[in-house]
Amino acid sequence: MWWQWAHWLPLAVLVPLGFGVTTPAVAGGDGGRAWRWAVLGSALAAATTLALVVRVAREGPFSYAFGGWNPPYGIEFRFDEVGAFAFVVASLGMLAIVFSGRYAEHALDPARIPYFYTLLLLDIAGLIGFSVTGDLFNMYVFMEIISLSSYALVAVSGERTAEMAAFKYLVLGAVSSLLVLFGIGMVYGTTGTLNLADAARRLGGVGSAVPVAVAIALMAAGFMVKSALFPLHVWLPDAHAIAPSPVSAVLSGLVVKVGLLGTFRLYQVVYRTGIVDLAALDQLFLWLGAISIVMGAFFAIFQDDIKMMLAYSTISNIGYIVMGFGLASKFALIGAAVHIFNHAIIKSALFLAAGAIIHQTGYRRLSELRGAGRGMPLTAAALSVGAVSIVGIPPTAGFLCKWYIALGAFEAGRAAFGFALVFGALFIFVYYIRMVNAFYFQEPVHADVVHAGDPPLSMLVPVWVLAGLCLAMGLAGKIPLTFITPAISRLLAPIGG
Amino acid sequence: MKKALIIALLAVAAIPLLAAMASMPRFGSPEQPAYTHVASRYLQKGAEEAGADNVVTGVILNYRGFDTNGEVTVIFTACAATAAVLVTSGSRKKEKPGEATVPLSPVVGYVVRLLAPFIALFAFYVVLFGEVSPGGGFQGGTIFAALIIILSVVAGRNVAERVLPARVRPWLQIAGPLSFIAVGTLGAVLTGSYLGFPHARGLLATAMLMGIELGIGIGGATVFASIFWRLGDEP
Repeated sequence: MWWQWAHWLPLAVLVPLGFGVTTPAVAGGDGGRAWRWAVLGSALAAATTLALVVRVAREGPFSYAFGGWNPPYGIEFRFDEVGAFAFVVASLGMLAIVFSGRYAEHALDPARIPYFYTLLLLDIAGLIGFSVTGDLFNMYVFMEIISLSSYALVAVSGERTAEMAAFKYLVLGAVSSLLVLFGIGMVYGTTGTLNLADAARRLGGVGSAVPVAVAIALMAAGFMVKSALFPLHVWLPDAHAIAPSPVSAVLSGLVVKVGLLGTFRLYQVVYRTGIVDLAALDQLFLWLGAISIVMGAFFAIFQDDIKMMLAYSTISNIGYIVMGFGLASKFALIGAAVHIFNHAIIKSALFLAAGAIIHQTGYRRLSELRGAGRGMPLTAAALSVGAVSIVGIPPTAGFLCKWYIALGAFEAGRAAFGFALVFGALFIFVYYIRMVNAFYFQEPVHADVVHAGDPPLSMLVPVWVLAGLCLAMGLAGKIPLTFITPAISRLLAPIGG
Repeated sequence: MKKALIIALLAVAAIPLLAAMASMPRFGSPEQPAYTHVASRYLQKGAEEAGADNVVTGVILNYRGFDTNGEVTVIFTACAATAAVLVTSGSRKKEKPGEATVPLSPVVGYVVRLLAPFIALFAFYVVLFGEVSPGGGFQGGTIFAALIIILSVVAGRNVAERVLPARVRPWLQIAGPLSFIAVGTLGAVLTGSYLGFPHARGLLATAMLMGIELGIGIGGATVFASIFWRLGDEP
């Protein structure tokens, strides 16, 4: 069958990478040509990753050995159900690039536009590579591609505040990369291998548990900075709110998930070796996750800037996923893994819709955007769908994963955290009500908001595809849940099983 | 107060790190896993099966070639990032005088011009000889970039930019990733996996390795020089 062709797996990375590096050369300074080239590249990447998802659904996880060297001697790509995040990356990346076409014309210096698409495509390539690699150092290489392109994408608008936000992001990001690299070095020093599966086998036989525990701690800390878990979130609100809106969608929906996927891979390595008791780490994740949920939602309530509000809500949602990891029960892990996917869709929908509104009206504060529901009915409706989703009201995408994490809390005997989750959802409900209220029910303050009109189709279509997915992932919520379950079962399977 | 607190925190954080270092396998001991597991195969068979006499080159281009594929992409990403942050529509038009911007002793200028071809030759030697001795594309490319940077300081940017013409520069910048993709795809056709090298045909495998080295060298040199010039462009 077409999806069984082995080379889809390396192509999933090489296609966006190849298109990304050639964008400035092909465009020759023409922003429109750069956009068409990038759209083509990301569409091909999405098609390639789709083949991978079809194959993993039919046949289960599969590998690709680079250079014909069998692991652990060479580098291995390993595609499992969690790696299907690559498909989410490629499709959302494509929508963000399509959206950027008209947006970049207005918001960016024309000389920078080809480089903007280069960085977006490289970011996508890095994220796909990070999701599918089965090698620790290869993971780090992709993490660097992701980080470097993300820092620059925050600053690409050239505004002073954006450059400051990017610099803050860069400093904290560099520290977290070093922590992860140090942890990888210690794993290599104790096991002599960089292959994830091989390391999992060999960690059981190492002499002393202390270096392994410290390596896990360093990598978890590094990954949590990347994911902006409270109190390591300080870089996120500025960077995500000030970046151009399609970039915010990619950063908030996809790039913060690097830390979560990395933690999941780390768990796959150390969970069943039994050399280190992870209970303390689970406790820490549980508490920090719960605090993140509440604090993120709490700060979001006080934001008037619509993108700032969305940025704080990301911290809250990362909290849900990390809490799911910390609960470490089957339902919670399934919910957390699916929320990695669903939050990506919801948050991209929200940021793109908000970006379209800001693009059309020129305002970004809720107090100025009153009446936007009348001015741009379709965009505001998409934003409302996203808002309902992220609160977790059935039948939208946000509901099922949060429900599963709450079930997991009861399953693990930590009912109090289930209530923290509901409490957080209430907070989130409050601030999205504020938004919907401003759009539809409050008297407009600016006449141009009411007369703005919906954005061009190249912006409206991506927004509505994402809003539609928010609904579809809720109505067909069973599909991702059953899809991800084998990966979680393998993770939790008893030792030796 | 704040400083004292930070120092105290760092000291506390250092304790587990030092404890972990103390119980790591002893540094330099032949029994430690870093030598006995994967690396031992590289050392024993690397020279013959990886197609390069220099084992380090064999590891970075053959066994773990895909990592290097990612690393040259990181280098290009840095170049694209600098461009995305610094370039403005106005900055290209600015005509620079052909002479050095800083007054220099004529001796320095003369010596640099005299040495330039030798530095270039040395750079290419390091790139191509990396297959048998320490060196390779990254090192040779850096040396060549250093030459271009010295030339732009001493003889002015116009002279130096002639080495890497602006028209083809966007293609030269991506020589690293492109050579990897080309050789990797050729390897996929010949051996059935990306970046596979046909071991039966030693000469072809060596030529493919050299192609990558050359790509890394040209790409790296152009990236470094471009970043240097871009920083000079800043308004």
